[in-house]
Amino acid sequence: MSNNIVSKFLRWVQSAAGFSITLTIVIAVVSSIVSGPYLIVNTIVTGGMLALLATGLSLMLGVLNIAMFAHGEFFMIGSLTAYYVFTPISQYISENPESFMAVIGPLIAIIGAAIAGAISGIIAEKLVFGPLRKRSTDNWVMNSFLLTVGLSMLLINLHQLIFGADFKGIVGYWAGMPISIADVFISRDRVMAFVIAVFVVALFWFFMTYTRTGMAIRAVSQDITGAQIVGIDIEKIILLTISLACALSAVAGGSLLFMYPSYPAVGLEPLYLAWFVVILSGLGNILGAVAGAFMVALLKVVTVEYIGSGWDFVVPSALIMLILIFKPSGIFGSDVRGALDQ
Amino acid sequence: MDNTITIQQMNPFDKLLDKLCLTPAGLLGLVLLFALPFIPPFNQEYLIRWLIYCGFIAAMSIGFDLTAGFISIVNFGYAAVSGFGGYTSALLVINLGLSPWIAMVAGGITAGFMGLIIGMISLRLRGIFAACLSWFFGLAVMGLATKMVWLTRGPLGLRTPRIFETDSNVPFYFLIVILLFLTYLTCKWIVRSKMGLAFQAIGQNMDAARTSGINPVFYRVFNFTISCAIAGVLGGFYAHFYGILTPDVMHTSKTVEVLAVAYIGGRGSLWGGAVIAFPFIFIMEIIRSSLSNLPGLNLIVYALVLILVMIYYPGGFSYFYDMNIRKPKNKALRYFFNGRN
Repeated sequence: MSNNIVSKFLRWVQSAAGFSITLTIVIAVVSSIVSGPYLIVNTIVTGGMLALLATGLSLMLGVLNIAMFAHGEFFMIGSLTAYYVFTPISQYISENPESFMAVIGPLIAIIGAAIAGAISGIIAEKLVFGPLRKRSTDNWVMNSFLLTVGLSMLLINLHQLIFGADFKGIVGYWAGMPISIADVFISRDRVMAFVIAVFVVALFWFFMTYTRTGMAIRAVSQDITGAQIVGIDIEKIILLTISLACALSAVAGGSLLFMYPSYPAVGLEPLYLAWFVVILSGLGNILGAVAGAFMVALLKVVTVEYIGSGWDFVVPSALIMLILIFKPSGIFGSDVRGALDQ
Repeated sequence: MDNTITIQQMNPFDKLLDKLCLTPAGLLGLVLLFALPFIPPFNQEYLIRWLIYCGFIAAMSIGFDLTAGFISIVNFGYAAVSGFGGYTSALLVINLGLSPWIAMVAGGITAGFMGLIIGMISLRLRGIFAACLSWFFGLAVMGLATKMVWLTRGPLGLRTPRIFETDSNVPFYFLIVILLFLTYLTCKWIVRSKMGLAFQAIGQNMDAARTSGINPVFYRVFNFTISCAIAGVLGGFYAHFYGILTPDVMHTSKTVEVLAVAYIGGRGSLWGGAVIAFPFIFIMEIIRSSLSNLPGLNLIVYALVLILVMIYYPGGFSYFYDMNIRKPKNKALRYFFNGRN
């Protein structure tokens, strides 16, 4: 019996997914033994946020076949909303530091970011993707991708025009001493950002797996015609998916405001990283995206640690290119060619 | 058979036009471009500077369209390839003392080599995956240019000698118009030959093309190589015109600029982007400079036009031209718009 489990485990390790997960864990353990446990803490915090972004991105890819280039801009919308919501709150907190607001104020800002993200996603669907879908769905993947390129440019410059190009950041969300875990001091904001990420991803996973709406979304991602036949309202599902994906991105933006102050092009780096994750884990694979997020985060952290900051685009993108060349479906993806592959 | 007879019957002027892939209207446009720096509102130095930028984007959009419009792969690292050519050319001039002219050609060759690599590694990929691959390639190249400070001086900017030792911009303008025309001619000749058909077949349906005996490996790699070589030469021109190079020239937003012009002009037409670039970029520059208290407005207009064209008029300007302008009733006008063929 135990022999069976061992052989099963060995076979899993030999598959691409198992191999890469094992390798990630080994690298994480080795590097944190060599350089200190802060590496692993950094990886987990970065990975949590990346997971939020990447699940949204792969939701768009899987359900709507939209290769979102403007995902970073919803991150930007989230951080901008959080900034404008949190500034008056923080003033209030500084006047009454003992009030209840000091605890829930940041949460209000982040929820505000999520709502703003969802609304802007719906607006984008109504004004941009909907009309294109109505006109023609020929060559949809490429056309919608180019549309999102235009959308990204539009949102970046609207931000610059309306709010200016300066950095709009905050000192921190939650005041107080940093928390110490395994001799590493982590600021409360980081801990909370990770907690929020875990909470939201878990909620999202629960929603997708157990609720009827989540099942409907998955059904649409598998087969639109089939879903229509069994009576799923496609229009509603599309709207819901876009608003969910954009809200996920905006939550990431809102809760990372203390690290990434809001400015027009703030979304570019998260966008690149989220794309790395999505390519790594296979397009449209939502659970794989969570695992991939931690891999990319580790890759980034290790690169910054051993090669130097600034190389964290070169090394990951080189590696992702290798993955694209040798296993274009991603390490968790199946080899079935889908609609995205045209 | 018919075709050869008509070519023999053409008069020399038409034959020349046919060789140059121009219609009489196109020829008029080209002459107008050459005359533009002497026509009063445009004969000021700063306006000529804008026109040079228009010409640069126009030529880039032709090279871009060769890949995007014919084999249906959006090369998202196009600006990075162009910047790579520019950096190669600039470094050759600075470190080896070559003449900028030779260095520009060398930049084109190295960029073409880079295109060869991108073409080879993206062979198995289609559509969005190939676009992503070229995008990440561009990101990696840009990251390298930013980090190899000892060679490229990184974000500080690399000072490069200019091609012409004058303060005037006019010779640069003529150079870019000539480069623009050469780019157009090269691409058009390739597209007009049998190769163009093969490109289109691959772009529309790669499996069907392979079944009918077209070897996609050669054509795709060849297409990437030519398109990137053009980008490299133009990058060299950019480097030796502005006199300063920063890794920003490789940024994805530069690719998006070229992409927008190519798509608004009409993909798969080659000339559409070039024609649309001049008025379009020029108006953008006017908006940018006259409404400088509203930064980013020009790019908003840019993005809006791109979105509207993509949704409501995907054929772009060239489709509009073919449908509405090209077929007038008048015989002389028809000759003017279509040439003899």
